[in-house]
Amino acid sequence: MNSSTVPPEPMGLELNHKTILGLGRYQALDIDGMQAETLAGLLRQMLRLRRTEEAILHEYHPADEIRCPVHFCIGQEAMPAALSLLVEAEDYLFSHHRTHGYYFAKGAPMREFFAEIYGRVTGANQGRAGSMDISHEASRFYGGAILSGSIGIAVGAAYALQHRHSRQISIAGFGEGATEEGAFWEAVNYAGLRRLPILFLCENNRYSVYSDQTKRQASDNICERVATFGVRARRIFGNDAALTHRTLQLEMEAMREGGGPALVEAYTYRWNSHVGPEDDSDNEYRTVEEIAFWRQNCPIRLLEEKLTAAGRFDSVRRENLESEIAAEIAENFKFAKSSPFPHIDDWRTANWNPASPLADRLLETLTESEFDQYQAEAKLAPY
Amino acid sequence: MHLTESVHRPLSYGKAINEALRQSMELCEDVIVLGQLVDYKSGVFGTTTGLADRFGPGRVQDFPNSENLMTATAMGAALAGLRPVVVHQRFDFMLYSLDAIANWLGLWYFKSAGKSDMPVTIRAIVGKGWGQGPQHSKSLHAWLAHLPGLRVAIPATADDAKGLLMDSVFSQTPAVFIEGRSLFPMTTNVPEKPYRVRFGQATIRRTGCDATIVAIGNMVPIALRAAAALERDGIQVEVVDPRTISPLDTATICASVAKTRRLLVTDPGWHSFGVAAEIVATVAEELGGELKAKPVRVCLPDSHTPMSATLEEQYYPEETALETAVRRMVRL
Repeated sequence: MNSSTVPPEPMGLELNHKTILGLGRYQALDIDGMQAETLAGLLRQMLRLRRTEEAILHEYHPADEIRCPVHFCIGQEAMPAALSLLVEAEDYLFSHHRTHGYYFAKGAPMREFFAEIYGRVTGANQGRAGSMDISHEASRFYGGAILSGSIGIAVGAAYALQHRHSRQISIAGFGEGATEEGAFWEAVNYAGLRRLPILFLCENNRYSVYSDQTKRQASDNICERVATFGVRARRIFGNDAALTHRTLQLEMEAMREGGGPALVEAYTYRWNSHVGPEDDSDNEYRTVEEIAFWRQNCPIRLLEEKLTAAGRFDSVRRENLESEIAAEIAENFKFAKSSPFPHIDDWRTANWNPASPLADRLLETLTESEFDQYQAEAKLAPY
Repeated sequence: MHLTESVHRPLSYGKAINEALRQSMELCEDVIVLGQLVDYKSGVFGTTTGLADRFGPGRVQDFPNSENLMTATAMGAALAGLRPVVVHQRFDFMLYSLDAIANWLGLWYFKSAGKSDMPVTIRAIVGKGWGQGPQHSKSLHAWLAHLPGLRVAIPATADDAKGLLMDSVFSQTPAVFIEGRSLFPMTTNVPEKPYRVRFGQATIRRTGCDATIVAIGNMVPIALRAAAALERDGIQVEVVDPRTISPLDTATICASVAKTRRLLVTDPGWHSFGVAAEIVATVAEELGGELKAKPVRVCLPDSHTPMSATLEEQYYPEETALETAVRRMVRL
């Protein structure tokens, strides 16, 4: 098999958002050979993200102290949880607008996250960015609201890593909607051309706001299209946290050894509306059956039940985990709410770095200038 | 050693850009050049000739016809510690990258609350004449100057081209560097040593007391020729070259107009909503009541560039247009 072709589907089924509904209750989650620490980590990360999102949902209205658009990722916890166990501090991670999972995946601090969405000066971006655009420089995490813009920036980070023969990698997380942008294909072409160490993570949650993938794309075969550029592409059931972890691990380890670019397309689903806590079902874009399928195949529940059945998890551990997470969330809410609001003293220096230490060190300043205006300008002929 | 001790010798605008890139790459191994055809002998009108031989393909990269990605790649590379220079043979092709520039590059520092820099330099060449036509001659520098977080240089001389480019490469704030193709053969005395010309510092190209001409980019030599012609009639014109339009040295411009009390702005961009309008507005806010004549803009007509030579002559303002406008202002 060519290294860039799509491997057989894990369930012997052509995986897409229509066929997936025929799976019923997902039975293929396999934890054999996985370390206890990894499995516990997956569950913990997913639960922490779920509870954080639920807490924000609960707090959003009517308090209205979180005054920015928030795109919840409840239901999509498996990918960021798997990533959190595999990504290294020196790797670069770029995220779509549904940032929260990726922010936590990169190990960026929860207190700066809460303070940011509360618009406080103690936030990761001092209240300038909010939920969609949050970044955390020290963690090498960068969010952004424009569909595929950050994918190209991730390519650039990969370029620099390759240039320096680093073993670090660059990761771009996005939804299937971003693959409709020309910028995405420019990125895939260049990654394939130069064998860049970039991992494209496509969370296919079917809808761009309300619009169905098959209404927007000629074919729902992102992996096949990407593979033609020499970028390895794998399609997985993205609510299987164990499978997601195994797949990312395989790709990331290969990439660190110079294996070149890869894409993982994870089929998943957001439980909430596109943005905010309000219900958007008035648009009648998804069926009750579809929502029920995905809730039944909740990534946390799938893993927890498997672990419990295997005797590797129980209600006592669950309670301990829950209370630990609840305490962390409560403490960080408190920190955010008690933090001061920002003020910008100078709009110019807020937008420009006035310092230029390298230029100061390397260059003297030329002040004099003279010019003979009687010279002829270029005649561009015969070009 | 002071810069004044450096050897100055005549160098063309195009060769000065080449020298700025070469010296920047010598000074710092993080400097890389990305652009279509930058690694060929012709070297984007000579500006990158020899760099690939000297520094190797790892630092001088041809790039696919993907301008948006090219800018984004430069950004990611800058984030990871490199200092990329992106080259566009024509400004017009840069428009593919407006998402990267407007939504990401200019925003980056602000959004990070000052924690993350993007030292990216974008070179964009603007054609003029020989039928370059509507898609090889646009200069939308006013669009770029409108964006917060981005610096915009539009040098008129070889020494400014070298100094501003080196300042761009080694500063922390992203910059777009606009090069008038028609200026490429023009020479000035350029110091051999590496140096910087600081953004936001205009220069007085010629002093005078009767009127101020603020001239942008390739309008500078034209304004100077107009000023020389007007002097023969006893009209003393001061010519101010802002050199960078973002940041714009409004203090030097206003000081000149406070002295002459007459203002003409000439910009190689479209008449409406442009840099000339911005400068006139700034002066009006500062000195409106003190002007002896209505300010004048001499720019390109609000029209796309025509191809035919006779239409080009009609389209591009020359010194006679400036002379006529100044004579009218001075007589009032």
